[in-house]
Amino acid sequence: MGILDKLNAIAEARKTLLPAGVDPFNVVIDEIYSATEASIGGRRVLLAGTNNYLGLTFDQQCIKAAQLSLEKEGTGTTGSRMANGTFAGHRDLEKELADFYGCSNAIVFSTGFVANLGVISTLAGPGDVIVLDADSHASIYDACKMSGAEMIRFRHNNLEDLEKKLKRLGSKAEKTLIIVEGIYSMLGDCAPLAEIAALKKKYGAWLLVDEAHSMGVMGESGRGMVEAASVEQDVDFIVGTFSKSLGSIGGFCVSNHPELDLVRYICRSYVFTASPSPSTIASVREALRVIQSKPKLRTRLWQNATLLYQGLKDLGFEVGPDLSPVVAIRTPSRETTLIAWKALLDKGIYVNLVFPPAAPAGMSLLRCSVSAAHTVNQINCILEAFSELHHIMTERE
Amino acid sequence: MTTARYDDIYRQVIELLQEYAPQPGPIREETELINDLGFDSLRVMEMLQDVEDVFDITYPLNSLSDLRTVKDFALQIQSIIEIS
Repeated sequence: MGILDKLNAIAEARKTLLPAGVDPFNVVIDEIYSATEASIGGRRVLLAGTNNYLGLTFDQQCIKAAQLSLEKEGTGTTGSRMANGTFAGHRDLEKELADFYGCSNAIVFSTGFVANLGVISTLAGPGDVIVLDADSHASIYDACKMSGAEMIRFRHNNLEDLEKKLKRLGSKAEKTLIIVEGIYSMLGDCAPLAEIAALKKKYGAWLLVDEAHSMGVMGESGRGMVEAASVEQDVDFIVGTFSKSLGSIGGFCVSNHPELDLVRYICRSYVFTASPSPSTIASVREALRVIQSKPKLRTRLWQNATLLYQGLKDLGFEVGPDLSPVVAIRTPSRETTLIAWKALLDKGIYVNLVFPPAAPAGMSLLRCSVSAAHTVNQINCILEAFSELHHIMTERE
Repeated sequence: MTTARYDDIYRQVIELLQEYAPQPGPIREETELINDLGFDSLRVMEMLQDVEDVFDITYPLNSLSDLRTVKDFALQIQSIIEIS
């Protein structure tokens, strides 16, 4: 048996996608026109699956900042900060992120995935325990495996199960890191963070919150679920990404524990990977300013989210449990999901198709993400397209 | 420390496996969860929630890497019960 034989199952699974005529997991965007429109397969398409929550990928201030940096500092850093040095922009962004969150320390990473991978696998190690929500992102699962810590799952958003597991740990709870997300990426549901923080305090554990989908989205100032739930003082570490509401690429961790600054010396995904390019950092710094100076973007995002979430509910679709900019529609089967996804694309609407294991509990989903850049008319177009495929979803149940 | 009878655990494990196995079939101690019963990681995770409830234990995910047969599974559960 050769090393490639294991890929035969993937080849077979890919064949089942052929009826769609387009590989939904390898869609080519021929041209991108704006935060909400692109050309796919030669036709103009409305984008409803980008995670571009505030629409900042085309923000003129962010583009200008990146352009200036590109001219001044070049296209890349060509190495890690440990080896090649830290650019002033990296240092300044870390200071600005720390200030934004009211924390003493911040570290910037090259992607959100490697931020989780690096921070979690460095903070927890053999002899420690990680208690993670069952619906955690793949980067969290991988990080936990890498850490060598004892890895315990609790049922998604289930406080009773979390408490039961913390209680059983006894004195080991003090060496336990609880990991949850602000908004969960697939169903768009929110963590009961105030209650989780209370359990963390009760048992003397540590708490890390991944705000990938909630930074810039939740909270009066955009500081995520931690701000919305008023638990900023109880959360030990916040991890986030630049690739969603900040419209770029990269990741970060902030904390009031001064030891976070030591993590950068031993964190392999920081030490052994190239640092973010200067233009990326420049656009992120500008986006962080926009998040703070334009709260109206958040207002518009939530108006759009409400319109889509409620509209789909009114049409009879089974949406996620909480209103959020991630609007997931549960479908009866894999086959129906694929047909519905392609029907939407043919109508000029791009959404995400999600199969297990990316979707939780064996579900198949059509996943939309709403942007502040969507117009009301565009949201109505998405709803209209969904209304026309309602018969596909029901006929096949 | 609690003592747990292997036979009782084994019997309950078989009941759970019969409920969750994607490929039902005869289950013996040497039956393999993946190769014989068709379990994948998702299905194992679903079953683990019930395993934790039935035995009132916490099953660390790290133990999955040593899990191959039904006997392995029953012994792991016995060990967790005994150290809790």
